[in-house]
Parts: sequence; C-alpha cells; structure tokens
Amino acid sequence: MADGAQQDKSVQVKLVLLGEAAVGKSSLVLRFVSNDFQANKEPTIGAAFLTQKCRLEDRTLRYEIWDTAGQERFHSLAPMYYRNAQAAVVVYDVTKAASLEKAKSWVKELQRQANPNIVIALAGNKLDLVQSSSPPTPTSPSFEDDEADDATATPGETPDSPEGSTNETLRQVPTDEAQAYATEASLLFFETSAKTGEGVVELFTEIAKKIPIDHILASTQGAAGRSGAAGADGQGNRQQGINLDAAASKGKDACNC
Amino acid sequence: MSTISTHLRKIREPNKDEQLRQSFALTPAPDPVDVDSQKYKIEVNATLSLPQESEEEAYAGRLYLLPPYLAFHSLDRKSTRFTLPLCTIRRVERLNTRTGIFALSLSNWHGMKIIVQITSLRPTADLFCAHLRDALKLELQRGQMKAMKSFVKTCYSETLIPDNTPAGTEDSELVQTEDVAYLCGLGVKFKFPGDPKKLREASKLKLWATYFRTHGRNLTLLRYPQSTRLVQVGLPNRLRGEVWETLSGSLYLRFSNPGLYERILKENEGKVSTSTEEIEKDLNRSLPEYPAYQTEEGINGLRRVLTAYSFKNPELGYCQAMNILVAAILIYMSEEQAFWLLEVLCDRLLPGYYSPSMHGTLLDQRVFESLVKKCLPIIHDHFHEVDVQLSVASLPWFLSLFINSMPLIFAFRIVDCFFCMGPKVLFQVGLAILKINGEALLEIQDDGAFIHLMRDYFGSLGDSAHPNSSDPRTRAITRFQELLLVAFREFSVITEETIATERKQFRGDIIHGIESFSKRASVRNLKDLGNFTKDQAGLIYDILYKAICVVPPPASLQGGSGSPNSGQGQVAERPETRIGLATFKIFLSEIATWARDEKIVSNGFQERVDREVADHELIDRIFFFWDSSRCGALSFQDLVTGLNGVMFNDLMANIEWFFTLHDKDKDGFLTKDELLILSESMLFIFRYEVGDAYLGAVSRFMTNAFEYGDAIHETERLKTSGEAESEKPQELGNNQPYLNLATFRMVVLADEILESFFETDLTASFQLQSIPDGPLATPKSGFFGGLLSTIVTDDNVKRFHKFSDDLGKTIGQHQVVHRPSIGRIDRPIALQEPKAREPLLSSTSPRPSVSSASSSTVLATPSNSTPSLSISPPVPEKDVSPPEITPLYHAAAAAVMERTPFAIDDPQDDDDDDDDDETGEGDTHNPDDKVMDEVLYDCRRTRCG
Repeated sequence: MADGAQQDKSVQVKLVLLGEAAVGKSSLVLRFVSNDFQANKEPTIGAAFLTQKCRLEDRTLRYEIWDTAGQERFHSLAPMYYRNAQAAVVVYDVTKAASLEKAKSWVKELQRQANPNIVIALAGNKLDLVQSSSPPTPTSPSFEDDEADDATATPGETPDSPEGSTNETLRQVPTDEAQAYATEASLLFFETSAKTGEGVVELFTEIAKKIPIDHILASTQGAAGRSGAAGADGQGNRQQGINLDAAASKGKDACNC
Repeated sequence: MSTISTHLRKIREPNKDEQLRQSFALTPAPDPVDVDSQKYKIEVNATLSLPQESEEEAYAGRLYLLPPYLAFHSLDRKSTRFTLPLCTIRRVERLNTRTGIFALSLSNWHGMKIIVQITSLRPTADLFCAHLRDALKLELQRGQMKAMKSFVKTCYSETLIPDNTPAGTEDSELVQTEDVAYLCGLGVKFKFPGDPKKLREASKLKLWATYFRTHGRNLTLLRYPQSTRLVQVGLPNRLRGEVWETLSGSLYLRFSNPGLYERILKENEGKVSTSTEEIEKDLNRSLPEYPAYQTEEGINGLRRVLTAYSFKNPELGYCQAMNILVAAILIYMSEEQAFWLLEVLCDRLLPGYYSPSMHGTLLDQRVFESLVKKCLPIIHDHFHEVDVQLSVASLPWFLSLFINSMPLIFAFRIVDCFFCMGPKVLFQVGLAILKINGEALLEIQDDGAFIHLMRDYFGSLGDSAHPNSSDPRTRAITRFQELLLVAFREFSVITEETIATERKQFRGDIIHGIESFSKRASVRNLKDLGNFTKDQAGLIYDILYKAICVVPPPASLQGGSGSPNSGQGQVAERPETRIGLATFKIFLSEIATWARDEKIVSNGFQERVDREVADHELIDRIFFFWDSSRCGALSFQDLVTGLNGVMFNDLMANIEWFFTLHDKDKDGFLTKDELLILSESMLFIFRYEVGDAYLGAVSRFMTNAFEYGDAIHETERLKTSGEAESEKPQELGNNQPYLNLATFRMVVLADEILESFFETDLTASFQLQSIPDGPLATPKSGFFGGLLSTIVTDDNVKRFHKFSDDLGKTIGQHQVVHRPSIGRIDRPIALQEPKAREPLLSSTSPRPSVSSASSSTVLATPSNSTPSLSISPPVPEKDVSPPEITPLYHAAAAAVMERTPFAIDDPQDDDDDDDDDETGEGDTHNPDDKVMDEVLYDCRRTRCG
C-alpha cells in the first residue's frame, strides 16, 4: 500500500464528552486538541465542537468532538449530541465521589439510548490533584512515540500545585472501584489529568483502536451512494470525494504542532 | 435518584390581559401593592400628539389606564408606544378647543407636554378622566411622586441633559440629592468593548440627547419610530444600560422595588445552596477576556447579581449562560440594574429558557426550526437530508443572545434590538444568518461542518459585505450591517404574534417530550427494579406523577435546587423528589383497590364510579414501612422497592409481609395492641366486601390469635418459672411481645378466607394500570380542543354529576354501591343476593367446610365471658345478616381485651367446645404448643400439596 493511500484514509469519528459540570470535560478536549490548559474556561453552552486527528499505525482518525454542557439542566439536550456518536468519553472527577455516580447514569443512558456500537470510555479526571509530585507515567509507550509530536504529546513536567498539599487524601474515588465498575460495564478506563496531560493521549488512542473503523468506512460509503461496501479497506483511497476534501482542508487547523 | 417536576403542567399561554401588560413591558400581573388601584383600569381610543410637532405626527391608537401606569400604543402596535408611571405626570389639563373634541394635555416631570385626544364616546371619556384623577391621587398619597425625584437621578440621561427642573420647584431638595451619581457599569472604569471613535460614540449621544429633550427620557420616555432607528444603529455605550432598562421595562421594576436587591443579598448572606455552588464554578469563566473579570471587583459584582437572583427565584436558581448574560450587561449597568434586567429576561423576554427543564429553550428551538422550514425550505430540506440538526448551532445563539457566538460589539447591537423590539429579533437574526449563508449551507454534510461555517461567518462580521464593489460606500457596508438589514427587512414578517402562535402549537409536544424523557431517566436510574419490568416501573412512575400533580410534595421535602438551605448546604446537584404521606395516599389509592373508596353510582342516566382516596392507619403504616431512609418521605425507588415487596409474594411471603408491617419494633413479635391493629387493618381492607364472610374470618382470626398467644405465653411462663407458680397467672401488658410469626402464620392458615386472601387476593389487590393522561393534560391545540378543555373542567364534571344525581333521586333511580376491594363475588350477584357466599367458599377452599356455630355467636363469645371457647369453626353464614362493620368490630375488640387474665383460659377446657373440628385445630389446644405448631403446619401442607 502506498503512503499516500494511508494518509487519505481519514475516518471521521464522532465522539461526545459527557459528565457532571466542572469535572474538566472541556479541559480534556483542549489538552487533546491544542495540548493546552486554561484555568478558566468559559462553561460550555449547549455544546462546543472541536476536531482533532489521531493517527494509528496505518490510518488516521479524525475525531469530531462534541463537548457538552455539564449542568444538570442541560441533560435533556444531550441526546442531540450523542446521537450517531461512535465514541463517548464519560468524565468524572476523582476528587468527587458524586461525579462517578453521575458518570454511571450517563453510561446507563448511553447504553440504552445511543448508537448500539458506541465505544464508551470512563475517564477519572483531575488526577494531578491526588498525586503528590510523581511524574506522569505513560501507560502505552509503544504508541506514545508515534503520537508524541503529532498532536497530543505529554507536556513537560509542570508540577505547579501551589497548595503543595495535593495528595491521596483528596481522592474520593479509588482507582480500584472505578476500574471494577468499568470492567463490569465493559468500558475503557483511564485516570487522566487535563492539567498535566497524563493519560489523555492514551485515552483517545485506546478509543481509536477500539472503534470499528471498517464498519464506519463501510457505512459512510454506503451513505455516499457507493455500492462497494464489501472491501471497504481496499477502496478507501477512492471513496467519498467531498469528505476527503473537507478532511484535507481542515487538516490545517486541526493539526497543532 | 429521580426528580419529578410537575411545573410544566402549570404553564399556560398568557391571557389577553397579561399579553397587554407585556406589550407595555410590564409584569404580567400587577404588583401586589397595586391590586387595589386596579379598579381604575380603563381603556379608551385616543390620538397622541406632541404640541411642538405638526399635525401629521399625531398617532391614533389606544390609551390604557393600568394603575400605576398610563400606557398608549398606536393602532399598528409598533410605531408609537409609551408606558408612563402615573407619578411622572405633574399636571393634567382639559384643553379648551373646538366643541366635540375631548383632549387632555399631560405635562410630566421632565417638563414635557403630550396631548391625548380621547376619541371614545363622551361618557367613556368622562369616566376615563375620573379614573385617571383618582389613580393619580392614590399615587400622590403613596409618595411615589417624591420617590421618583431621587430615582431619576440614578439615570445617566439626567446627567446628559442637565437643567431639567421644571420651573423652580423644591430646589433645595434637588441640591441635596445632587450627589446621587448616576448608575453605571464596569465599562466606565474598564473601558467598553470596541473603539469609541469607530462606533461614533459622541454623535450617537448627541442624537439621543436631542431625542430625550423632545420625547422624554427614562421613566417618561415616549417610543416614537425615531427611537427604534436610533437603537438599530447601536446604542452609545454610556447610555446603553439605561436604555436597555427603559426598553425592557426593568426600569419600572427597579423603581417600584427600591432596595430589594440589597435586601435579598443581606438576608441571604453566607447562605450556600446548589445554585451558589454552581455559580461559584462559573464566576471565573464568564467573559474571562474582559479586563474587569480578571479583578475581584468584577467577579464580586457578578457573584452578587447571580446569587441574589438565585435566591429571588429559587425554582430557577442558576443556569449556565446566565453568567455570560450577566457578565455582559454588567459592563453597561450597575448591579441593581443588572439584577432587574435579569429578572425581566428570565421572566418575560426569555420565558422558560433557564428553568430546570429548559423548556423555553427547547420550545423556541422547535419554533425556530419550524420558521426555517417555512421561510427557508431549501435549507431546511437539505439539513433534513444530511441529518444536521439546526439546534447544535442555534441553541447557544438564543440561550446567550449571541453574546458568546459573535464578537461582543456585534452581539451587543443585537441585544439593543432585542430589548427594543422583543424576542422576535432572535428569530429574525437567526433566519438572516442562515439566509445569508444559504449557498454554503447547502454544501455542508454534517453537524461539524455547520458549526465551522457559522464560526467562520461570525468571525468575519466586521468585514465588508461587498469587498469587490467599486463603490466605496457599498464597500463600507459590513457583513454585520448586511445581517441586520436582511433580518429586519426580509424577515419583518416574523412578528411577536407569529412567535406566539408557533409556541402555542409546539408547547404540548415539548412538554410531553421533556416529561417522557425524565420518566425514562428516572426508570433507568432506579438502583433496583425488583421483579418489575421497565414498563411496569414506568407505570409506577406515571401513577406517582399523577399523585404529585394532585398533591405536590411539601417544599420542605425537596432538597430544593437552589432553595436556600440554612447552614451547610446540601450538595446534591439534583435533589431527589420525595413524597409525603398526603401524596402517598393518592399514589396508593391508584394501585391498591382497598386504598380507595369506590362508589358505583347509577342514577338512571349514567352509571359512573366515584373514586375517593381512603384514609386509614394501614396506609400510614405502609408509608412508614417503606420509608427505608427514615426521613418521613418516599422516593420513587422506595415506592418501587416497597411495591416489589408485596406484589410478587406467595402465600408465605405475604403472611410475613403483613406480619412485619404490623410489627412496629421489628422484634419478631406482635404485641396485643399490634395484633388488634392488624385485625383492624384486615377489616379495613375487607370493608366493602359483600356479606360477612370476611368479618367472620377476622373475628375468628382474633379469637384464635389470642387463644394461641395465651397458650404459648403460658407454656413459656411455665418453662421459665417452673410449675410451682402455675396457678398464679401472670399479667401480660398490651404492648409486650406476644405473638410470633410462626403462630401468626398458623392462625392465618387456619382459615380459608384468610388463606385465600394472603395467597392471592392481597397481591392481586395491587394493580398497575396505565392511567390516562394526567388530569392537567396539556391543552389540545386548535379551537375545538381549547373550547372543549374550557368546558370539560373538573368542576363542571362534578356539577354535571350532581345534577344527574339529583335528577336520579327525584325519579327514584339513584343508587350508590360501594365497589368491593377484593371483589371475589361478582358485583351483579352480590347486588341481587347479598347473602350468597357459597361461591366464595367453594371456589377458594379445597376442603369441605364444616360448621357448628354461626359467626355471630363467635363474636358474642367473648362478651359472654366464656373463656373456654376458643376456636371458631369455619363459617356457616346462612342466617347471618350483613353486620355493620365498625361498631361490631369495636365491640369485638373491646370484648377481646376484656378477657384478661388470659391465663385462666386453661388449655384443658378447650376440648369441651371444639369437639368436631377435623382440620387439626383440635390439636392446637394441646398445651404442648411446639408439637401443635408442627402438626398444624404439616397438616396444612399435606392438604395444600
């Protein structure tokens, strides 16, 4: 297969972020998309929309990320954003036990109401608040190298916890507990810190691996009116004229090296 | 966790009066202090003119006296309008002009005269004048005229146009108040967004000053077409806050509620609520790029306004997007002004946008979509085809008035128009945005592209709309100007009436959607469904919902989203809805057949079932039995778990359930009192059963229970204290452990009727039936639907029933029958032949019933003080007439209680009486209760098996 073919094989994946207010949904996205962290992000009204590419070995995913509002009363709007989503990240705050409960109810809702093949990941954010100063430890080094310079490199150490008292005592959700729940509900599970960047790349990379890309390719092709749904892989380079252009032109603003 | 809110059911379209008041930027209902003066309300036809203007400038319209306001609108309802507080009117003169013309000249506080010529018939005109005079007098008495003087000083326009004092009155007072500076926003200190030169600030101010001189200002502002044009070119920054206040009507609120803002803050100082916590999270995230919001000063102001509002309106509390609105308006106005403007926004201009269900937002999104379909069908069809939802982009436009979508300077100009021309502006601008981007929109294939396109467009609003034009003047037109032009020219067809009609059309759908959404969520969030299916849980939810509609749970039970929690606040984001006893009674009456009184009324014209909620201690008991968290209130989960505990039971489980229900201290024993209460509960359940079979069963049960209880107690005593004292009977208090489950079970099983009751009837008496749409069902749209819903009200139905009953009585056809709760016996049969009990017995009892004594003798037994008689045989009923339950029951109960000391019931005596009992009960009289227990139980089982 030629390199060019691989490059063109950009697959759009709709991903939605859900979770209680102020658990750091927008910050996770900002870290992933711009490798940046803002202490004061405007609350999301309705939902924010961002895109980011994520490269796997042989293909590129283009995440279309819907970052939803967390306040309870926006709940009834959420279906508008998670419909047709292929992936969802349900975020909770490791320092707030109640936020995991909310996350569980989101998972339940997604499993019942959303696209049946949706890949759901559970992310316990604000990990930096419960670590004293240990450096982030990348969990999937094999991908790290590949991805690092592309978009979402783990930033240099920024142990700027002014209180200095940040430690395990703040933690309200034990890793085991969340992990056990995630396993039971068959979710991907990560603890992350949007502030330090820990776990963020891994989160999105693992989701990317789990997405049934061939399935999506086949279905988008079908939607585009093509008949060749069978060997989606092989025909990837000569499909979806419009989408390709769109992806290529958008590539500029999505990439943020 | 589930929160059930019924407030959507209460929403109704504003009536004519309210619409009228709203069109004059007044609150839908008059202030409570003004209720008295509403008697002066009157309206007349009138023509408005200003003395300095020519005849052509006169506007025909309608003049309203809405104390404490005088209001006018021109016939087209938009070109000219005013809302004058009566206290600004200093002088009213009848003009001596040509005969047949009735004209008044009103001079106001700002020294301006307006002339209204009343064109209604003379008597009406006279009445109007009289009312106006009285209303003015009342205002004078209330001291509003004085309050007004210091109030107007807070307005910038007074500074803009100095020397407005009408001919030298009360100069001294004015000097005193001179130091009350006008109110201003953060912008004065932290700069206003945009370049003042580019915005031509100075010349705009000049134009407004001219307008204010001739047409009044702040409280006395007359809205002539010119004012709308001035607003459309953008308000000058310094004046913006005041004009927003005036146009939106929040000025009147601030005027009539002096000091309220500060008072709310003071009263709630230090209080924490869900809302204050949510506000705290967002304070640093509201227009963070504006310099003031990087300082304590700005943040504190924002906090105070949002918090004060959340306490003023705890039901709404705080919704994200309000922070952005308030941050924006605080640039142009003081905290108090912003507070009242926020009130007007939430209450009137954006109704329901920020409520917990956000129904207003959802509704207007639907309305917008419908307008797009009507006005821009091609775009609508394309969106439909590629499955793009309009709301993903348009929702934030409406929710934050474009403030976080467009660059601030443009957003504020839309906000100017919004306050001036009303909510329709949002729809007009929204449609214009789509129309201008029409071609590009037809290219998009998904939501993402739509958002991108919109973002790019908003970013380019400052660019030239016609960059390639050769005419420099055309080139100078910005895309924003083009947007406004399209919005107000091409979409001028969108009026307030259009919006109102559309809202009316979709409101039912939206409410239904929200309600079924929250129902699904509640069912999904149940931690334990028990044996229920989701659908059944849904039915329970529906019944609960209906009960809440009838009797809303008391406010104290609601953790209260935003309701002020004294002391340490409750942190739950969504307080769980819990119902109190009153609501529970209604809930249970919908499910349990015995928890309601159903009267079958036939009066010759109709046969109907009147249903009333029953009241009995048993229901209270179940309520507390199900209250797992001991907080005096039940959640949806409690109800599901509780019902699950009884609706899937077999015989043994039911017996145990009923036993535990009455075992208050859960020690495994019923006391004598509890035993009596238990019997009473059974009688309550059986109260409408036809015949006396059940009554007999209960009295036998009581006799048996006490008999066994005593026997057991006796042996216990013998065992523990030795035989020596056996002749000295020991007193047992009425509230000491007495009867255990095994004995209770045995006693129940000794009777077919009770056995059948616990085996099937108890469980079957709980019925989940889908209920028709609630009593407050959303109004049907359309003329006939509306007409029907006004005619068929609950009251009217009742009246009709009463009428037909009366008729029925006169013709002797009126008949009322209680529907039995268990209803084993068919009603028609029962009606014809109240004594027919055989079917009941034979159908439920597999063994032949043997009888030797009538139930009436059984009941009489205790009072006859024949302590030896203990077990009553199964009932023969032939000769017993249906007894009155309650008195008889009490007699029996009293008699049973009189039987102390029980110990004299010597077990040996029993043999004499129940000689012919074949079912093994005879064994029970054996003092060795353990054996007796076994035998009986075995006996039962073999029989059942």
